[in-house]
Amino acid sequence: MTTMVEARGVTKSYANVPVLRGVDLVVSQGEVACLIGPSGSGKSTFLRCINHLEKHDAGELRVEGNLVGYQLHNGKLYESSDKQICGERANIGMVFQRFNLFQHLSVLENLTIGQVKVRGVKEDDAKRRARELLARVGLESRERNYPSQLSGGQQQRVAIARALAMEPRLMLFDEPTSALDPELVGEVLDVMRDLAASGMTMIVVTHEMGFAREVANTVYFLDQGVIEESGAPADMLGSPRSERLRSFLSKVL
Amino acid sequence: MSTEEHSGLEVVPVRHVGQWVGAVVVLVFIAMVVHTLFSRIPTGLSACVTRAGQRVCHATTKWRFQWNVVGRWLFSSDMLHGVLLTLELTAVAMLIGIVLGVFIAILRLSRNRLLSGPAWVYTWFFRGTPVYVQIFFWFEVGLLYPRLTLGLPFLPVTFVSAPSTIISGITAAILGLGLNEAAYMAEIARAGIISVDEGQVEAATSLGMTRRQSLRLVVLPQAMRVIVPPTGNEVISMLKTTSLAASIGVLELFGRAQNIYASNYEIIGLIITASLWYLFLTTVLSIGQFYLERRFARGALRTQPMTPIQRLRHDVTSLRGLVRHSAVAR
Repeated sequence: MTTMVEARGVTKSYANVPVLRGVDLVVSQGEVACLIGPSGSGKSTFLRCINHLEKHDAGELRVEGNLVGYQLHNGKLYESSDKQICGERANIGMVFQRFNLFQHLSVLENLTIGQVKVRGVKEDDAKRRARELLARVGLESRERNYPSQLSGGQQQRVAIARALAMEPRLMLFDEPTSALDPELVGEVLDVMRDLAASGMTMIVVTHEMGFAREVANTVYFLDQGVIEESGAPADMLGSPRSERLRSFLSKVL
Repeated sequence: MSTEEHSGLEVVPVRHVGQWVGAVVVLVFIAMVVHTLFSRIPTGLSACVTRAGQRVCHATTKWRFQWNVVGRWLFSSDMLHGVLLTLELTAVAMLIGIVLGVFIAILRLSRNRLLSGPAWVYTWFFRGTPVYVQIFFWFEVGLLYPRLTLGLPFLPVTFVSAPSTIISGITAAILGLGLNEAAYMAEIARAGIISVDEGQVEAATSLGMTRRQSLRLVVLPQAMRVIVPPTGNEVISMLKTTSLAASIGVLELFGRAQNIYASNYEIIGLIITASLWYLFLTTVLSIGQFYLERRFARGALRTQPMTPIQRLRHDVTSLRGLVRHSAVAR
Protein backbone atom coordinates (compact mmCIF):
# COMPACT_ATOMS: atom_id res chain seq x y z
CA MET A 1 0.00 0.00 0.00
CA THR A 2 1.24 3.46 -0.83
CA THR A 3 1.76 5.92 1.97
CA MET A 4 -0.53 8.92 1.98
CA VAL A 5 0.59 10.83 5.05
CA GLU A 6 3.84 10.37 6.90
CA ALA A 7 4.91 12.31 9.99
CA ARG A 8 8.31 12.00 11.66
CA GLY A 9 8.98 13.96 14.84
CA VAL A 10 6.61 16.81 13.96
CA THR A 11 6.73 19.61 16.53
CA LYS A 12 4.84 22.86 16.91
CA SER A 13 4.76 25.54 19.60
CA TYR A 14 2.55 28.58 20.11
CA ALA A 15 4.54 31.37 21.77
CA ASN A 16 6.95 28.91 23.40
CA VAL A 17 4.17 26.65 24.60
CA PRO A 18 4.77 23.27 22.92
CA VAL A 19 1.62 21.77 21.40
CA LEU A 20 3.17 18.99 19.35
CA ARG A 21 6.31 17.39 20.79
CA GLY A 22 7.24 14.97 18.06
CA VAL A 23 4.36 13.24 16.35
CA ASP A 24 5.08 10.09 14.34
CA LEU A 25 2.41 8.49 12.22
CA VAL A 26 1.92 6.77 8.88
CA VAL A 27 -1.42 6.66 7.10
CA SER A 28 -1.69 4.52 3.97
CA GLN A 29 -3.90 5.15 0.99
CA GLY A 30 -7.49 4.08 1.65
CA GLU A 31 -6.94 3.95 5.37
CA VAL A 32 -9.18 5.57 7.96
CA ALA A 33 -7.22 6.93 10.92
CA CYS A 34 -8.93 8.33 13.99
CA LEU A 35 -7.12 10.72 16.31
CA ILE A 36 -8.48 10.69 19.83
CA GLY A 37 -7.29 12.35 22.98
CA PRO A 38 -8.13 14.95 25.59
CA SER A 39 -8.70 18.55 24.51
CA GLY A 40 -5.46 20.47 24.20
CA SER A 41 -3.54 17.35 23.29
CA GLY A 42 -2.71 18.75 19.83
CA LYS A 43 -5.06 16.65 17.66
CA SER A 44 -6.54 19.59 15.75
CA THR A 45 -3.19 21.34 15.47
CA PHE A 46 -1.63 18.26 13.92
CA LEU A 47 -4.52 17.93 11.48
CA ARG A 48 -4.14 21.58 10.47
CA CYS A 49 -0.39 21.07 9.90
CA ILE A 50 -1.17 18.41 7.31
CA ASN A 51 -2.78 20.93 4.92
CA HIS A 52 -0.52 23.74 6.09
CA LEU A 53 -3.23 25.78 7.77
CA GLU A 54 -0.64 25.80 10.54
CA LYS A 55 3.07 25.67 9.89
CA HIS A 56 4.93 22.99 11.85
CA ASP A 57 8.21 24.05 13.45
CA ALA A 58 10.37 20.98 12.94
CA GLY A 59 10.22 17.37 11.86
CA GLU A 60 9.23 15.85 8.58
CA LEU A 61 5.67 15.89 7.31
CA ARG A 62 4.90 14.37 3.93
CA VAL A 63 1.68 14.07 1.96
CA GLU A 64 1.91 11.63 -0.97
CA GLY A 65 5.67 11.71 -0.55
CA ASN A 66 5.92 15.50 -0.90
CA LEU A 67 7.12 17.60 2.02
CA VAL A 68 4.43 19.91 3.38
CA GLY A 69 5.51 23.55 3.02
CA TYR A 70 8.92 22.85 1.47
CA GLN A 71 10.49 21.73 -1.78
CA LEU A 72 13.64 19.65 -1.69
CA HIS A 73 16.20 20.60 -4.37
CA ASN A 74 19.89 19.66 -4.43
CA GLY A 75 20.00 18.94 -0.75
CA LYS A 76 18.35 22.26 0.22
CA LEU A 77 14.85 22.87 1.55
CA TYR A 78 13.13 25.72 -0.25
CA GLU A 79 10.02 27.16 1.39
CA SER A 80 7.06 26.61 -0.91
CA SER A 81 5.48 29.64 -2.54
CA ASP A 82 1.89 30.52 -1.67
CA LYS A 83 0.84 29.22 -5.06
CA GLN A 84 2.49 25.81 -4.52
CA ILE A 85 0.91 25.51 -1.08
CA CYS A 86 -2.52 26.41 -2.48
CA GLY A 87 -2.15 23.79 -5.18
CA GLU A 88 -1.35 21.11 -2.61
CA ARG A 89 -4.19 22.16 -0.33
CA ALA A 90 -6.72 21.80 -3.12
CA ASN A 91 -6.00 18.05 -3.11
CA ILE A 92 -6.76 17.75 0.59
CA GLY A 93 -10.37 18.14 1.71
CA MET A 94 -11.06 19.54 5.14
CA VAL A 95 -14.21 19.45 7.24
CA PHE A 96 -14.43 21.75 10.23
CA GLN A 97 -16.11 21.48 13.59
CA ARG A 98 -18.18 24.59 12.90
CA PHE A 99 -18.93 23.70 9.23
CA ASN A 100 -17.64 27.06 7.92
CA LEU A 101 -19.95 27.05 4.91
CA PHE A 102 -19.82 30.26 2.91
CA GLN A 103 -22.79 32.11 4.38
CA HIS A 104 -23.34 34.40 1.40
CA LEU A 105 -23.57 31.56 -1.13
CA SER A 106 -26.31 29.05 -1.75
CA VAL A 107 -25.65 25.36 -1.11
CA LEU A 108 -24.97 24.77 -4.80
CA GLU A 109 -22.63 27.77 -5.02
CA ASN A 110 -20.75 26.52 -1.97
CA LEU A 111 -20.00 23.36 -3.93
CA THR A 112 -19.10 25.04 -7.22
CA ILE A 113 -16.94 27.97 -6.11
CA GLY A 114 -13.83 25.90 -5.42
CA GLN A 115 -14.16 23.87 -8.60
CA VAL A 116 -14.61 26.96 -10.77
CA LYS A 117 -12.21 29.39 -9.11
CA VAL A 118 -9.43 27.01 -8.05
CA ARG A 119 -9.68 24.12 -10.47
CA GLY A 120 -10.92 26.12 -13.44
CA VAL A 121 -13.80 23.69 -14.07
CA LYS A 122 -16.58 25.00 -16.33
CA GLU A 123 -19.64 26.30 -14.48
CA ASP A 124 -21.97 23.66 -15.96
CA ASP A 125 -19.66 20.76 -15.20
CA ALA A 126 -19.15 22.09 -11.68
CA LYS A 127 -22.90 22.24 -11.17
CA ARG A 128 -23.38 18.73 -12.45
CA ARG A 129 -20.74 17.40 -10.09
CA ALA A 130 -22.18 19.46 -7.21
CA ARG A 131 -25.64 17.96 -7.77
CA GLU A 132 -24.21 14.44 -7.83
CA LEU A 133 -22.50 15.06 -4.52
CA LEU A 134 -25.58 16.64 -2.96
CA ALA A 135 -27.53 13.54 -3.92
CA ARG A 136 -24.81 11.43 -2.36
CA VAL A 137 -25.18 13.22 1.00
CA GLY A 138 -28.97 13.22 0.67
CA LEU A 139 -29.49 16.95 0.16
CA GLU A 140 -30.38 17.22 -3.54
CA SER A 141 -33.52 19.22 -2.69
CA ARG A 142 -31.58 21.90 -0.80
CA GLU A 143 -29.33 23.34 -3.51
CA ARG A 144 -31.06 26.71 -3.54
CA ASN A 145 -31.02 27.16 0.24
CA TYR A 146 -28.53 29.27 2.11
CA PRO A 147 -26.51 27.63 4.90
CA SER A 148 -28.38 29.55 7.62
CA GLN A 149 -31.58 27.82 6.49
CA LEU A 150 -30.19 24.33 7.18
CA SER A 151 -29.84 22.34 10.37
CA GLY A 152 -26.36 21.70 11.74
CA GLY A 153 -26.33 18.14 10.45
CA GLN A 154 -27.37 19.26 6.98
CA GLN A 155 -24.73 21.99 6.99
CA GLN A 156 -22.03 19.51 7.89
CA ARG A 157 -23.13 17.17 5.11
CA VAL A 158 -22.95 20.10 2.66
CA ALA A 159 -19.48 20.89 4.03
CA ILE A 160 -18.38 17.31 3.34
CA ALA A 161 -19.81 17.54 -0.18
CA ARG A 162 -18.02 20.87 -0.68
CA ALA A 163 -14.71 19.26 0.23
CA LEU A 164 -15.42 16.27 -2.02
CA ALA A 165 -16.22 18.56 -4.95
CA MET A 166 -12.48 19.26 -5.23
CA GLU A 167 -11.87 15.53 -5.81
CA PRO A 168 -9.44 15.34 -2.92
CA ARG A 169 -7.13 12.38 -2.40
CA LEU A 170 -7.22 12.84 1.37
CA MET A 171 -9.96 14.04 3.70
CA LEU A 172 -9.31 15.66 7.07
CA PHE A 173 -12.13 15.87 9.61
CA ASP A 174 -11.69 18.17 12.59
CA GLU A 175 -14.24 17.04 15.19
CA PRO A 176 -17.01 17.01 12.57
CA THR A 177 -19.81 16.12 14.98
CA SER A 178 -18.80 18.07 18.09
CA ALA A 179 -20.95 21.12 17.31
CA LEU A 180 -24.04 19.07 16.51
CA ASP A 181 -27.12 18.29 18.56
CA PRO A 182 -26.97 14.62 19.58
CA GLU A 183 -29.82 13.57 17.30
CA LEU A 184 -28.02 15.01 14.25
CA VAL A 185 -24.70 13.23 14.80
CA GLY A 186 -25.88 10.01 13.15
CA GLU A 187 -26.64 11.51 9.73
CA VAL A 188 -23.13 12.98 9.48
CA LEU A 189 -21.44 9.79 10.63
CA ASP A 190 -23.48 7.86 8.03
CA VAL A 191 -22.07 10.03 5.27
CA MET A 192 -18.55 9.56 6.62
CA ARG A 193 -19.06 5.81 6.88
CA ASP A 194 -20.11 5.68 3.19
CA LEU A 195 -17.10 7.75 2.29
CA ALA A 196 -14.76 5.39 4.14
CA ALA A 197 -16.38 2.43 2.42
CA SER A 198 -15.74 4.07 -0.96
CA GLY A 199 -11.99 3.87 -0.25
CA MET A 200 -11.27 7.49 0.69
CA THR A 201 -8.22 8.09 2.85
CA MET A 202 -9.48 9.85 5.96
CA ILE A 203 -7.91 11.30 9.08
CA VAL A 204 -10.59 12.01 11.64
CA VAL A 205 -10.21 13.89 14.91
CA THR A 206 -13.18 12.69 16.90
CA HIS A 207 -14.77 12.02 20.24
CA GLU A 208 -17.15 9.46 18.71
CA MET A 209 -15.61 6.24 20.03
CA GLY A 210 -18.37 4.18 18.43
CA PHE A 211 -17.46 5.55 15.03
CA ALA A 212 -13.76 4.98 15.65
CA ARG A 213 -14.36 1.40 16.72
CA GLU A 214 -16.54 0.66 13.71
CA VAL A 215 -14.85 2.53 10.85
CA ALA A 216 -11.21 3.24 11.74
CA ASN A 217 -8.36 0.99 10.61
CA THR A 218 -6.06 2.58 13.14
CA VAL A 219 -6.72 4.69 16.21
CA TYR A 220 -4.09 7.11 17.49
CA PHE A 221 -4.26 8.38 21.06
CA LEU A 222 -2.61 11.79 21.38
CA ASP A 223 -1.71 13.14 24.77
CA GLN A 224 0.38 16.22 25.55
CA GLY A 225 1.63 16.52 21.99
CA VAL A 226 2.82 12.96 21.40
CA ILE A 227 1.16 9.79 20.21
CA GLU A 228 0.91 7.81 23.40
CA GLU A 229 -0.56 4.70 21.90
CA SER A 230 -1.85 3.48 18.55
CA GLY A 231 -3.31 0.35 17.12
CA ALA A 232 -6.40 -1.39 15.83
CA PRO A 233 -9.57 0.11 17.33
CA ALA A 234 -10.70 -3.08 19.04
CA ASP A 235 -7.37 -3.44 20.88
CA MET A 236 -7.05 0.27 21.68
CA LEU A 237 -10.56 0.77 22.96
CA GLY A 238 -11.02 -2.73 24.34
CA SER A 239 -7.75 -3.32 26.16
CA PRO A 240 -5.78 -0.08 26.46
CA ARG A 241 -2.18 -0.59 27.50
CA SER A 242 -1.22 2.86 28.81
CA GLU A 243 -2.60 4.27 32.00
CA ARG A 244 -3.40 7.59 30.30
CA LEU A 245 -5.53 6.02 27.59
CA ARG A 246 -7.32 3.97 30.19
CA SER A 247 -8.15 7.06 32.22
CA PHE A 248 -9.18 8.99 29.07
CA LEU A 249 -11.49 6.22 27.92
CA SER A 250 -13.05 5.94 31.36
CA LYS A 251 -14.08 9.60 31.00
CA VAL A 252 -15.50 9.49 27.47
CA LEU A 253 -17.07 6.07 27.22
CA MET B 1 -59.28 41.56 19.92
CA SER B 2 -58.24 43.30 23.11
CA THR B 3 -61.73 43.50 24.60
CA GLU B 4 -62.31 39.85 25.26
CA GLU B 5 -65.03 38.90 27.66
CA HIS B 6 -63.89 37.62 30.98
CA SER B 7 -66.55 35.49 32.62
CA GLY B 8 -69.22 37.99 31.58
CA LEU B 9 -67.77 40.91 33.54
CA GLU B 10 -67.08 44.29 32.02
CA VAL B 11 -63.39 44.93 31.34
CA VAL B 12 -62.12 48.42 32.14
CA PRO B 13 -58.95 49.21 30.17
CA VAL B 14 -56.07 51.09 31.83
CA ARG B 15 -56.23 54.81 31.17
CA HIS B 16 -52.97 56.24 29.86
CA VAL B 17 -53.40 59.84 31.04
CA GLY B 18 -49.74 60.77 30.46
CA GLN B 19 -49.91 59.65 26.85
CA TRP B 20 -52.96 61.80 26.22
CA VAL B 21 -51.35 64.89 27.73
CA GLY B 22 -48.20 64.25 25.69
CA ALA B 23 -50.18 63.82 22.49
CA VAL B 24 -51.99 67.14 23.04
CA VAL B 25 -48.71 68.97 23.64
CA VAL B 26 -47.23 67.49 20.46
CA LEU B 27 -50.34 68.39 18.43
CA VAL B 28 -50.18 71.97 19.63
CA PHE B 29 -46.50 72.12 18.72
CA ILE B 30 -47.17 70.74 15.23
CA ALA B 31 -49.93 73.35 14.79
CA MET B 32 -47.46 76.09 15.76
CA VAL B 33 -44.91 74.89 13.20
CA VAL B 34 -47.48 74.66 10.40
CA HIS B 35 -48.87 78.06 11.34
CA THR B 36 -45.54 79.82 11.21
CA LEU B 37 -44.42 78.00 8.03
CA PHE B 38 -47.44 79.29 6.17
CA SER B 39 -47.86 82.65 7.91
CA ARG B 40 -47.80 85.90 6.00
CA ILE B 41 -46.15 89.15 7.00
CA PRO B 42 -46.84 92.72 5.86
CA THR B 43 -44.70 93.97 3.04
CA GLY B 44 -44.96 97.59 4.25
CA LEU B 45 -46.62 98.47 0.96
CA SER B 46 -50.26 98.87 0.21
CA ALA B 47 -52.28 98.13 -2.86
CA CYS B 48 -55.05 100.48 -3.92
CA VAL B 49 -57.95 100.03 -6.28
CA THR B 50 -60.52 102.52 -7.37
CA ARG B 51 -63.95 101.01 -7.14
CA ALA B 52 -67.06 103.01 -8.00
CA GLY B 53 -65.08 106.21 -7.90
CA GLN B 54 -63.75 105.44 -4.47
CA ARG B 55 -60.11 104.63 -3.84
CA VAL B 56 -59.66 101.68 -1.49
CA CYS B 57 -56.26 100.80 -0.12
CA HIS B 58 -55.12 97.79 1.90
CA ALA B 59 -51.78 96.61 3.23
CA THR B 60 -50.23 93.79 1.23
CA THR B 61 -48.68 90.69 2.77
CA LYS B 62 -46.18 88.06 1.66
CA TRP B 63 -45.15 84.55 2.72
CA ARG B 64 -42.84 84.70 5.73
CA PHE B 65 -40.89 81.75 4.29
CA GLN B 66 -40.82 83.17 0.76
CA TRP B 67 -42.62 80.16 -0.76
CA ASN B 68 -43.17 82.16 -3.93
CA VAL B 69 -39.38 82.47 -4.29
CA VAL B 70 -39.04 78.74 -3.74
CA GLY B 71 -41.65 78.09 -6.42
CA ARG B 72 -39.87 80.42 -8.83
CA TRP B 73 -36.37 78.90 -8.39
CA LEU B 74 -36.93 75.23 -7.48
CA PHE B 75 -36.92 73.98 -11.06
CA SER B 76 -34.97 76.82 -12.63
CA SER B 77 -32.18 75.73 -14.93
CA ASP B 78 -29.70 77.43 -12.57
CA MET B 79 -30.68 75.21 -9.67
CA LEU B 80 -30.97 72.09 -11.82
CA HIS B 81 -27.38 72.60 -12.97
CA GLY B 82 -26.40 72.90 -9.33
CA VAL B 83 -28.21 69.66 -8.50
CA LEU B 84 -26.36 67.91 -11.30
CA LEU B 85 -22.97 69.13 -10.11
CA THR B 86 -23.79 68.16 -6.52
CA LEU B 87 -24.63 64.64 -7.68
CA GLU B 88 -21.44 64.47 -9.74
CA LEU B 89 -19.28 65.65 -6.83
CA THR B 90 -20.96 63.13 -4.52
CA ALA B 91 -20.51 60.25 -6.95
CA VAL B 92 -16.87 60.93 -7.80
CA ALA B 93 -15.81 61.72 -4.23
CA MET B 94 -17.55 58.59 -2.91
CA LEU B 95 -16.00 56.47 -5.65
CA ILE B 96 -12.53 57.69 -4.64
CA GLY B 97 -13.45 57.24 -0.98
CA ILE B 98 -14.72 53.68 -1.36
CA VAL B 99 -11.97 52.35 -3.64
CA LEU B 100 -9.14 54.01 -1.74
CA GLY B 101 -10.80 53.23 1.60
CA VAL B 102 -11.11 49.50 0.95
CA PHE B 103 -7.53 49.47 -0.30
CA ILE B 104 -6.30 51.22 2.86
CA ALA B 105 -8.35 48.86 5.04
CA ILE B 106 -6.67 45.86 3.39
CA LEU B 107 -3.24 47.46 3.88
CA ARG B 108 -4.12 48.21 7.47
CA LEU B 109 -4.90 44.53 8.09
CA SER B 110 -1.63 43.38 6.54
CA ARG B 111 0.86 41.64 8.80
CA ASN B 112 3.62 43.71 7.18
CA ARG B 113 4.18 46.79 9.39
CA LEU B 114 5.49 48.75 6.41
CA LEU B 115 2.04 48.41 4.83
CA SER B 116 -0.17 48.68 7.92
CA GLY B 117 1.78 51.61 9.38
CA PRO B 118 1.28 54.09 6.51
CA ALA B 119 -2.37 53.01 6.30
CA TRP B 120 -2.78 53.96 9.94
CA VAL B 121 -1.01 57.30 9.40
CA TYR B 122 -3.27 58.08 6.44
CA THR B 123 -6.40 57.54 8.50
CA TRP B 124 -4.92 59.46 11.42
CA PHE B 125 -4.08 62.47 9.26
CA PHE B 126 -7.16 62.74 7.08
CA ARG B 127 -9.58 62.01 9.88
CA GLY B 128 -7.76 64.37 12.20
CA THR B 129 -8.06 67.51 10.09
CA PRO B 130 -11.33 69.19 9.02
CA VAL B 131 -12.55 68.40 5.54
CA TYR B 132 -13.27 72.11 5.03
CA VAL B 133 -9.61 72.90 5.64
CA GLN B 134 -8.53 70.04 3.36
CA ILE B 135 -10.65 71.41 0.50
CA PHE B 136 -8.96 74.79 0.90
CA PHE B 137 -5.56 73.14 1.02
CA TRP B 138 -6.08 71.44 -2.34
CA PHE B 139 -7.50 74.67 -3.76
CA GLU B 140 -4.37 76.55 -2.69
CA VAL B 141 -1.86 73.77 -3.39
CA GLY B 142 -0.41 75.91 -6.18
CA LEU B 143 1.15 78.12 -3.50
CA LEU B 144 3.10 75.07 -2.32
CA TYR B 145 3.88 73.56 -5.72
CA PRO B 146 3.65 75.95 -8.67
CA ARG B 147 4.38 72.88 -10.81
CA LEU B 148 3.11 69.42 -9.96
CA THR B 149 5.79 66.86 -10.74
CA LEU B 150 5.84 63.12 -10.23
CA GLY B 151 9.25 61.48 -10.23
CA LEU B 152 11.67 59.56 -8.06
CA PRO B 153 13.13 61.28 -4.98
CA PHE B 154 16.80 62.38 -5.14
CA LEU B 155 17.00 61.20 -8.77
CA PRO B 156 16.64 63.16 -12.00
CA VAL B 157 13.67 61.05 -13.06
CA THR B 158 10.34 62.68 -13.92
CA PHE B 159 7.26 60.80 -15.05
CA VAL B 160 4.74 63.61 -15.45
CA SER B 161 4.77 67.31 -14.80
CA ALA B 162 2.03 69.92 -15.09
CA PRO B 163 1.31 73.43 -13.81
CA SER B 164 -0.79 73.30 -10.65
CA THR B 165 -3.45 75.41 -12.34
CA ILE B 166 -4.84 72.10 -13.62
CA ILE B 167 -6.39 71.81 -10.14
CA SER B 168 -9.63 73.69 -10.63
CA GLY B 169 -12.15 74.39 -7.89
CA ILE B 170 -14.04 71.24 -8.80
CA THR B 171 -10.87 69.13 -8.76
CA ALA B 172 -9.86 70.59 -5.41
CA ALA B 173 -13.32 69.82 -4.01
CA ILE B 174 -13.20 66.24 -5.32
CA LEU B 175 -9.70 65.71 -3.92
CA GLY B 176 -10.59 67.19 -0.55
CA LEU B 177 -13.87 65.30 -0.21
CA GLY B 178 -12.62 62.01 -1.70
CA LEU B 179 -9.34 61.73 0.20
CA ASN B 180 -11.06 62.64 3.44
CA GLU B 181 -13.82 60.13 2.77
CA ALA B 182 -11.25 57.37 2.13
CA ALA B 183 -10.09 57.69 5.74
CA TYR B 184 -13.62 57.09 7.03
CA MET B 185 -14.36 54.37 4.49
CA ALA B 186 -11.13 52.61 5.48
CA GLU B 187 -12.40 52.29 9.04
CA ILE B 188 -15.81 51.12 7.86
CA ALA B 189 -14.28 48.53 5.51
CA ARG B 190 -11.88 47.35 8.20
CA ALA B 191 -14.76 46.82 10.63
CA GLY B 192 -16.56 44.85 7.93
CA ILE B 193 -13.59 42.65 7.12
CA ILE B 194 -12.81 41.76 10.72
CA SER B 195 -16.49 41.01 11.34
CA VAL B 196 -16.26 37.98 9.02
CA ASP B 197 -15.64 34.78 10.95
CA GLU B 198 -12.09 33.46 10.69
CA GLY B 199 -13.49 30.03 9.83
CA GLN B 200 -14.63 31.43 6.48
CA VAL B 201 -11.05 32.22 5.51
CA GLU B 202 -9.90 28.81 6.74
CA ALA B 203 -12.55 27.08 4.65
CA ALA B 204 -11.59 29.12 1.59
CA THR B 205 -7.92 28.39 2.21
CA SER B 206 -8.55 24.68 2.62
CA LEU B 207 -10.22 24.65 -0.81
CA GLY B 208 -6.93 25.90 -2.23
CA MET B 209 -7.90 29.55 -2.69
CA THR B 210 -5.10 32.09 -2.58
CA ARG B 211 -5.29 34.87 -0.04
CA ARG B 212 -6.46 37.27 -2.71
CA GLN B 213 -9.19 34.89 -3.87
CA SER B 214 -10.49 34.29 -0.37
CA LEU B 215 -10.57 38.03 0.25
CA ARG B 216 -12.41 38.78 -3.00
CA LEU B 217 -14.73 35.76 -3.18
CA VAL B 218 -15.45 35.01 0.46
CA VAL B 219 -14.50 37.78 2.88
CA LEU B 220 -15.48 40.99 1.08
CA PRO B 221 -18.93 39.79 -0.07
CA GLN B 222 -19.74 38.91 3.54
CA ALA B 223 -18.15 42.05 4.90
CA MET B 224 -20.53 44.00 2.64
CA ARG B 225 -23.40 43.30 5.01
CA VAL B 226 -21.56 45.28 7.66
CA ILE B 227 -20.06 47.80 5.23
CA VAL B 228 -23.18 48.81 3.28
CA PRO B 229 -25.33 50.46 6.01
CA PRO B 230 -22.66 52.90 7.24
CA THR B 231 -21.57 53.50 3.64
CA GLY B 232 -25.13 54.54 2.86
CA ASN B 233 -24.85 57.03 5.69
CA GLU B 234 -21.56 58.24 4.24
CA VAL B 235 -23.16 58.81 0.81
CA ILE B 236 -25.97 60.80 2.38
CA SER B 237 -23.48 62.73 4.48
CA MET B 238 -21.28 63.34 1.43
CA LEU B 239 -24.21 64.69 -0.57
CA LYS B 240 -24.61 67.43 2.01
CA THR B 241 -20.90 67.97 2.63
CA THR B 242 -20.38 68.82 -1.05
CA SER B 243 -21.98 72.18 -0.13
CA LEU B 244 -18.59 73.12 1.38
CA ALA B 245 -17.32 73.37 -2.19
CA ALA B 246 -19.39 76.55 -2.52
CA SER B 247 -16.73 78.24 -0.39
CA ILE B 248 -14.12 77.86 -3.14
CA GLY B 249 -16.51 79.07 -5.79
CA VAL B 250 -17.81 75.75 -7.09
CA LEU B 251 -21.35 76.28 -8.36
CA GLU B 252 -22.98 73.19 -6.97
CA LEU B 253 -26.46 73.32 -5.43
CA PHE B 254 -25.68 75.65 -2.54
CA GLY B 255 -23.16 77.66 -4.56
CA ARG B 256 -25.90 78.38 -7.10
CA ALA B 257 -28.30 79.39 -4.35
CA GLN B 258 -25.72 81.76 -2.87
CA ASN B 259 -24.98 83.21 -6.29
CA ILE B 260 -28.63 83.93 -6.91
CA TYR B 261 -29.41 85.47 -3.52
CA ALA B 262 -26.29 87.60 -3.75
CA SER B 263 -28.03 89.49 -6.53
CA ASN B 264 -31.70 89.38 -5.51
CA TYR B 265 -31.42 89.23 -1.69
CA GLU B 266 -34.13 86.57 -1.45
CA ILE B 267 -31.86 84.72 0.95
CA ILE B 268 -34.34 82.60 2.92
CA GLY B 269 -36.25 81.51 -0.19
CA LEU B 270 -33.09 80.25 -1.88
CA ILE B 271 -31.77 78.55 1.24
CA ILE B 272 -35.10 76.72 1.44
CA THR B 273 -34.96 75.88 -2.27
CA ALA B 274 -31.53 74.30 -1.83
CA SER B 275 -32.66 72.53 1.35
CA LEU B 276 -35.69 71.02 -0.39
CA TRP B 277 -33.40 69.61 -3.06
CA TYR B 278 -31.04 68.18 -0.47
CA LEU B 279 -34.01 66.61 1.35
CA PHE B 280 -35.37 65.11 -1.84
CA LEU B 281 -32.00 63.67 -2.88
CA THR B 282 -31.23 62.16 0.55
CA THR B 283 -34.70 60.60 0.59
CA VAL B 284 -34.07 58.94 -2.75
CA LEU B 285 -30.68 57.71 -1.50
CA SER B 286 -32.23 56.29 1.68
CA ILE B 287 -34.65 54.24 -0.39
CA GLY B 288 -31.77 52.94 -2.49
CA GLN B 289 -29.88 52.10 0.68
CA PHE B 290 -32.76 49.97 1.96
CA TYR B 291 -32.78 47.79 -1.15
CA LEU B 292 -29.00 47.53 -1.24
CA GLU B 293 -28.89 46.38 2.39
CA ARG B 294 -31.57 43.84 1.63
CA ARG B 295 -29.51 42.50 -1.27
CA PHE B 296 -26.40 42.02 0.86
CA ALA B 297 -28.27 40.47 3.79
CA ARG B 298 -28.76 37.38 1.61
CA GLY B 299 -27.77 34.26 3.47
CA ALA B 300 -27.27 36.10 6.74
CA LEU B 301 -30.94 36.08 7.70
CA ARG B 302 -33.35 33.21 7.45
CA THR B 303 -36.04 35.50 6.09
CA GLN B 304 -35.50 38.74 4.23
CA PRO B 305 -37.00 41.94 5.65
CA MET B 306 -40.06 42.98 3.66
CA THR B 307 -39.88 45.85 1.21
CA PRO B 308 -42.36 48.66 1.94
CA ILE B 309 -44.49 47.45 -0.96
CA GLN B 310 -44.50 43.89 0.37
CA ARG B 311 -45.33 45.17 3.84
CA LEU B 312 -48.23 47.20 2.46
CA ARG B 313 -49.55 44.15 0.63
CA HIS B 314 -49.09 42.07 3.76
CA ASP B 315 -50.95 44.63 5.89
CA VAL B 316 -53.81 44.82 3.42
CA THR B 317 -54.10 41.02 3.28
CA SER B 318 -54.04 40.62 7.04
CA LEU B 319 -56.50 43.49 7.46
CA ARG B 320 -58.80 41.80 4.98
CA GLY B 321 -58.41 38.57 6.93
CA LEU B 322 -59.22 40.43 10.11
CA VAL B 323 -62.34 41.96 8.62
CA ARG B 324 -63.47 38.56 7.33
CA HIS B 325 -62.70 37.01 10.70
CA SER B 326 -64.73 39.58 12.64
CA ALA B 327 -67.56 39.27 10.12
CA VAL B 328 -67.67 35.54 10.75
CA ALA B 329 -67.52 36.09 14.48
CA ARG B 330 -70.52 38.32 14.29
